[in-house]
Amino acid sequence: MDIGVTVGALLTLAIYSFLYRDNPYYKVAEHILLGVSVGYFVVTTITSTLVPKLFESIIRNGNFIYLIPGLLGALMFLRFSRRLAPVSRIPLSLIIGVGAGVAIPANMQAQIIAQVKATMLPLGSISNIIIVVAVLTVLVYFYFSREHKGIIGAGAKAGIYFLMIFFGTTFGYTVMARISLLIGRLQYLLGDWLGLIK
Amino acid sequence: MIADQRNSASLQTRHFIFILVAVSVALPLIFKIGLPLKVTAEVQGAYDFIDELPEGSAVIFSFDHDTGTLPEMIPLAEALLRHCFKKNLKVLGLALLAEGAAVGDDNFRRIGNEYNKIYGVDYLFWGYRPQVTVAILGMGENIERVFPADYTGKDLRSFPVMQNIRNYHDIAAVITVADGDMPVSWVHYGQARYGVKVIPAVTAVMATTIYPFLQSGQVAGLIAGLRGAAEYEKLIGIPGKASRGMDAQSSAHILIIGLIIAGNIILIRERRRKRS
Repeated sequence: MDIGVTVGALLTLAIYSFLYRDNPYYKVAEHILLGVSVGYFVVTTITSTLVPKLFESIIRNGNFIYLIPGLLGALMFLRFSRRLAPVSRIPLSLIIGVGAGVAIPANMQAQIIAQVKATMLPLGSISNIIIVVAVLTVLVYFYFSREHKGIIGAGAKAGIYFLMIFFGTTFGYTVMARISLLIGRLQYLLGDWLGLIK
Repeated sequence: MIADQRNSASLQTRHFIFILVAVSVALPLIFKIGLPLKVTAEVQGAYDFIDELPEGSAVIFSFDHDTGTLPEMIPLAEALLRHCFKKNLKVLGLALLAEGAAVGDDNFRRIGNEYNKIYGVDYLFWGYRPQVTVAILGMGENIERVFPADYTGKDLRSFPVMQNIRNYHDIAAVITVADGDMPVSWVHYGQARYGVKVIPAVTAVMATTIYPFLQSGQVAGLIAGLRGAAEYEKLIGIPGKASRGMDAQSSAHILIIGLIIAGNIILIRERRRKRS
């Protein structure tokens, strides 16, 4: 039997032991997971980003312009100094400014314009009618400038029902996802480890 | 004292439910039932899109997930990779989450070997890049500027598979294998800005986030969760881990429906008893 598979199986059982109650085996497995994840992330970032994109660009290729983003990145670490922490806001403000500048038009285009366009449908089929009615009634539900009475109240109530259907669908998909994870682990334990699945 | 008794009673009920769920999943895995599986329109749409691509077209696989969701991600990636290799497409890969890099590289080499594909000639894995927005937008201008080298550190221009591939204009589709909302970023910055076709292969949890983009035509299909992977395996005619897990999925769902109904009956009875 592969030692790696056995180690994986034992760690899986240690994690599942939490379902009974908190215990040292669970704690050990949890700490191993955290340690390995952080270690992997740090090494991957250094080897696949910092070394080829920053150090090699400056040292090997002589692109000294990369010193500027390198320096800005280094300034972020000043957050650990109580006296110099405000300096770290310079790169942070740059990230926020550029991020917002890039994200706002992209969001407008992909989330608002394209989505509104997709609800301007011919009312020739039941599914199109449902889409249009659901969008309108849910929007009415989130309209708080007038009291939800009369036709606005009826629209808002219909909006709640559509929202409930959405939450139910999302919950159903969540259950499916969690069961899928259990299936994956049991396929590993019963199949790869114990050989019970043919 | 009363609180302790209640706590211990609820713990027993909880443990009983855990055991029932475990048994309902384990038994169909060991003793196969073979329940029928219907292919949904969104999975069929993704399959048709890839199937109709001419031989030699380039597709990007973006492994945008960590290792916690591998039971859903691996069957999805395997089914889609098998289809692409079978169709003799140029398969290129990257990861926008660090943990996806190792998983993606392993998937590429394993499935590539199944179809006798050569690394660098038929497929290539570029590796990981942080800063999703910058990476996606950057590849729209020039892929080599974002990934000057592949995952192993070799110059990207040295690989034959990269000939005539500069940016999204040379890419037929981006398949994002994701456990979060990374497909939304691909739609925002890849599809909306550069018009690249996006096919999300996501965890079931993320399906309802992606459906509005499917309805608006911003994504070219949707493959969600283990169920989506099983449907795709059926379409390519290669049953894998997802197909084998479908009986267990159905069995667990029936149990959960039963538990919800039983819980509600108990609640209604208790309410009536209190009123009377």
